[in-house]
Amino acid sequence: MSRFFTTGSDSESESSLSGEELVTKPVGGNYGKQPLLLSEDEEDTKRVVRSAKDKRFEELTNLIRTIRNAMKIRDVTKCLEEFELLGKAYGKAKSIVDKEGVPRFYIRILADLEDYLNELWEDKEGKKKMNKNNAKALSTLRQKIRKYNRDFESHITSYKQNPEQSADEDAEKNEEDSEGSSDEDEDEDGVSAATFLKKKSEAPSGESRKFLKKMDDEDEDSEDSEDDEDWDTGSTSSDSDSEEEEGKQTALASRFLKKAPTTDEDKKAAEKKREDKAKKKHDRKSKRLDEEEEDNEGGEWERVRGGVPLVKKPKMFAKGTEITHAVVIKKLNEILQARGKKGTDRAAQIELLQLLVQIAAENNLGEGVIVKIKFNIIASLYDYNPNLATYMKPEMWGKCLDCINELMDILFANPNIFVGENILEESENLHNADQPLRVRGCILTLVERMDEEFTKIMQNTDPHSQEYVEHLKDEAQVCAIIERVQRYLEEKGTTEEVCRIYLLRILHTYYKFDYKAHQRQLTPPEGSSKSEQDQAENEGEDSAVLMERLCKYIYAKDRTDRIRTCAILCHIYHHALHSRWYQARDLMLMSHLQDNIQHADPPVQILYNRTMVQLGICAFRQGLTKDAHNALLDIQSSGRAKELLGQGLLLRSLQERNQEQEKVERRRQVPFHLHINLELLECVYLVSAMLLEIPYMAAHESDARRRMISKQFHHQLRVGERQPLLGPPESMREHVVAASKAMKMGDWKTCHSFIINEKMNGKVWDLFPEADKVRTMLVRKIQEESLRTYLFTYSSVYDSISMETLSDMFELDLPTVHSIISKMIINEELMASLDQPTQTVVMHRTEPTAQQNLALQLAEKLGSLVENNERVFDHKQGTYGGYFRDQKDGYRKNEGYMRRGGYRQQQSQTAY
Amino acid sequence: MASRKEGTGSTATSSSSTAGAAGKGKGKGGSGDSAVKQVQIDGLVVLKIIKHYQEEGQGTEVVQGVLLGLVVEDRLEITNCFPFPQHTEDDADFDEVQYQMEMMRSLRHVNIDHLHVGWYQSTYYGSFVTRALLDSQFSYQHAIEESVVLIYDPIKTAQGSLSLKAYRLTPKLMEVCKEKDFSPEALKKANITFEYMFEEVPIVIKNSHLINVLMWELEKKSAVADKHELLSLASSNHLGKNLQLLMDRVDEMSQDIVKYNTYMRNTSKQQQQKHQQENMQRQSRGEPPLPEEDLSKLFKPPQPPARMDSLLIAGQINTYCQNIKEFTAQNLGKLFMAQALQEYNN
Repeated sequence: MSRFFTTGSDSESESSLSGEELVTKPVGGNYGKQPLLLSEDEEDTKRVVRSAKDKRFEELTNLIRTIRNAMKIRDVTKCLEEFELLGKAYGKAKSIVDKEGVPRFYIRILADLEDYLNELWEDKEGKKKMNKNNAKALSTLRQKIRKYNRDFESHITSYKQNPEQSADEDAEKNEEDSEGSSDEDEDEDGVSAATFLKKKSEAPSGESRKFLKKMDDEDEDSEDSEDDEDWDTGSTSSDSDSEEEEGKQTALASRFLKKAPTTDEDKKAAEKKREDKAKKKHDRKSKRLDEEEEDNEGGEWERVRGGVPLVKKPKMFAKGTEITHAVVIKKLNEILQARGKKGTDRAAQIELLQLLVQIAAENNLGEGVIVKIKFNIIASLYDYNPNLATYMKPEMWGKCLDCINELMDILFANPNIFVGENILEESENLHNADQPLRVRGCILTLVERMDEEFTKIMQNTDPHSQEYVEHLKDEAQVCAIIERVQRYLEEKGTTEEVCRIYLLRILHTYYKFDYKAHQRQLTPPEGSSKSEQDQAENEGEDSAVLMERLCKYIYAKDRTDRIRTCAILCHIYHHALHSRWYQARDLMLMSHLQDNIQHADPPVQILYNRTMVQLGICAFRQGLTKDAHNALLDIQSSGRAKELLGQGLLLRSLQERNQEQEKVERRRQVPFHLHINLELLECVYLVSAMLLEIPYMAAHESDARRRMISKQFHHQLRVGERQPLLGPPESMREHVVAASKAMKMGDWKTCHSFIINEKMNGKVWDLFPEADKVRTMLVRKIQEESLRTYLFTYSSVYDSISMETLSDMFELDLPTVHSIISKMIINEELMASLDQPTQTVVMHRTEPTAQQNLALQLAEKLGSLVENNERVFDHKQGTYGGYFRDQKDGYRKNEGYMRRGGYRQQQSQTAY
Repeated sequence: MASRKEGTGSTATSSSSTAGAAGKGKGKGGSGDSAVKQVQIDGLVVLKIIKHYQEEGQGTEVVQGVLLGLVVEDRLEITNCFPFPQHTEDDADFDEVQYQMEMMRSLRHVNIDHLHVGWYQSTYYGSFVTRALLDSQFSYQHAIEESVVLIYDPIKTAQGSLSLKAYRLTPKLMEVCKEKDFSPEALKKANITFEYMFEEVPIVIKNSHLINVLMWELEKKSAVADKHELLSLASSNHLGKNLQLLMDRVDEMSQDIVKYNTYMRNTSKQQQQKHQQENMQRQSRGEPPLPEEDLSKLFKPPQPPARMDSLLIAGQINTYCQNIKEFTAQNLGKLFMAQALQEYNN
């Protein structure tokens, strides 16, 4: 016990519980997080610590190695076991960890394992093939590691953000470790190495030291793949106690700093070495390279082994500094050959290409070469993900954007560079400065691909997370790039290319509400025609004008139907979004898209659906309920609005489709920031249906042939009726149903309060850009339709009714009431006449009463019954028998009369 | 309230028996040798039935119960009854028979007639001619020859005149039901139409003298104003409902006929086709054509639709029509009365 007292601090006592060796360790606050920083005079004590640390860490590293092995052979059960052991071992090593900070390799395995598990988890095909034990272990392990990793969240995220740092720390380990680790590791390894090399020139002191040390290490023990875990501890020790080495390192570092011509060589040599090593790595892994190549590699390998990197050159860069176009191009082709091959380390490839760019730039090989290599870098960035479904990692994405930007910079700076897909490899002109430079490659394709990747990233991010917002910020960058490319292509591109880039631009513009232009519209013009002109000039930046210009160009120049269709739809959408209903409608009607949209591919159909919905909502805003209803009918009546708009998959059809289909459908989903609010959509539809249906129902209360205008609305009404206990409405639908009921009674105030209130404002109405305008329109509509409903329902109890009373009841002005009633009379909906002097409506009371109506219907039914009965009789008698013929005619006549009645009603319906 | 109804009931006895006479005449036309010529109901039974409906029945839901009594010569005396418990979802294993036996045993202990003589059921606007009623009445009548079904119409009763009717299946229908053959041919052979499916048995409500005395006394005390439902002139709602129901049945009937029609057409078409085919084949083989009779053996005609349903629908339509007729006649009378009254007042 006394020992504990001597140790004093809390952590110490804890540690003593876990490990006896630690007790001997003196209390020391001077252990930094990085063993590298330790000073020499502490070496003694350090050794003691190291023994304890080593012991624990070795245990951990051994476990990690087994896990990596298990990961490699996909033995999840084993992984699970080892992971549990690892957790225990870590618990034991806790005291050390408290001191030293969480070891990087530990975080690394946690992160890797989680990634690996997620990968397995996503891979549904693979999961199916997996045996039961493994599958079970997978799910348990996945849960466990999730839970476990929560404690290390900050470490892991920091690790993920800059894996190079961590990779730096145990670079040696990575070096060999990558062989035993999954692809993931190698990627990070590659990334780290790349940044490493980049950084090298900027801040050589720290990193280069390490780097060089590592090189030395390699030189010394000629790079064997054993003992990778021991490297870690080894490195710390060698770092700290091999001072004499340090001297050499600093010397080397200083050489780097000086940037002498020799340094260049040094560096190149080092780079070459790295490259070779990377090559060798995937060489080993893939084991399927050609004989010839293997020979190549072998040759290079020999040279490296020679251990005199400063003198010998890799064979493609002949004699040191003499780096020519041909050499670089050859190297480039060499790198590209590995592309697409199984086991090619894609990350390493990117890194190699980036190196090449640097070399090319340093040697002033001209923009042509750089452009060419840049093209290839971007292409390999896109290639990075083997699967079409997976999306780019944020860091790759950022790199990609940067790359494209740089490329654009170059292209703008050098107008004499011609870029094109059609330029053959042979006819490329990369260096001859006299003639214009010609480079094969298509900037447009790259940008289109970039756009796709962006969509993919957005699709795969949880739309309610901060991450999504972060990603969305990139949208501005994407737009900027598209704009630049557009400018570039406007100068140089063919019309076809211009059309494509215009479409891209349109696709990034059409769904955005132009608040600036909206504001400008709101401030009234100053009256004179001059100010109008000013305004027109102002609108130069308006998205409307932009859309107009881009779309018109496409309409005129495009030859592929698809681009034009998309452009039209986007144009309509944009019009509709900005409440230009008539333009939108006319464009829609003129394009005749409605006739043949079913032949288009699904994404275009989704766009069409979106456009129709937007059109409907636009019509609603304008108070054109009927148009709104018609536009939304198709989408809403199916009950699959979500699916039709590409805003989510329906659970119901999950069983019906297989995984392939599901993947395809997932890829079709519209990113969240383009979504149309479904509740808004449904509400608009239901409210317009209400405004149409309720007066119609009142007018045809007792008509057997009455048809429903909106099935869905009726469905909602029925659902409302089925409720055993009617509370105050909660959801949007309940509000509309309650409002409909009020309207049925002609009670417009209640109806109004149900449609427009706090809840509904929050849910629906405030989503409109001009919410107040919509609300006033809605109130007016409700008043009018309520008046109509009232007249339909209660006209039979009135002999006459004063229009003034009506105008008071519905708070409408007299002329409006007059016009509504006149319209009803003209349409023969209301059997009445207006008495001008007294301003009253005099009912004619010619409509049959309810009983009379019923009796008429009954008579009709009986008619058909008798006719049916006759047929049975006919059958027995044969088809002769003149008497019955006559009889039947009689019935027919009767029916004819009835039909005429029906016809009249129908006519009034259509007129309505 | 109940006592007053009882009062009207006793006065209505004569009217219901006269109304019943028409039905009886028809019934007699079909079967002169019916086992029961008259039903005598105790006031208690009527009250219990009304009470049962008021407590448990609502809207289109019907209530049912068991009638207990005795057969005296050709008269069925119903002296007591008890309701079937309402069915709920959660006691699906409830044994109804057990419950009935238990109930009857208990009633016997208190010295009440325990002979099962039929059952009663409430109705919604007179729609009771259904398959369910037919089936259960058949099983009753099959087991206990004298059983009747009492149909109680609460809506009509609420309008001021007690409506309670006793029905039995005619012997002819009993025969048909026993055969369980509802094909068109069988029904044709049985010569049964909707008029002869049910026979109505006249009802007499009988009270003990003591009760009658009490009734007289009560009648004196009750104000006349309480009886005004009988004179209510509002008719449209009731009439509308009746028309609606009538229309529904007519629709059903129409469909039924169409179905039958298609069946007829199919049979004849099939017969012709098969005949021709067969004959063609035979001709090709050089054999003489088949005679008509063999055809029906060779080819199965399509399944004939059961005609019982259409019979029931027709019966139901008939009931509705009777109802409407009765109702409108009464209402016309009332209207004339009101008119006369108004003229007199003016």
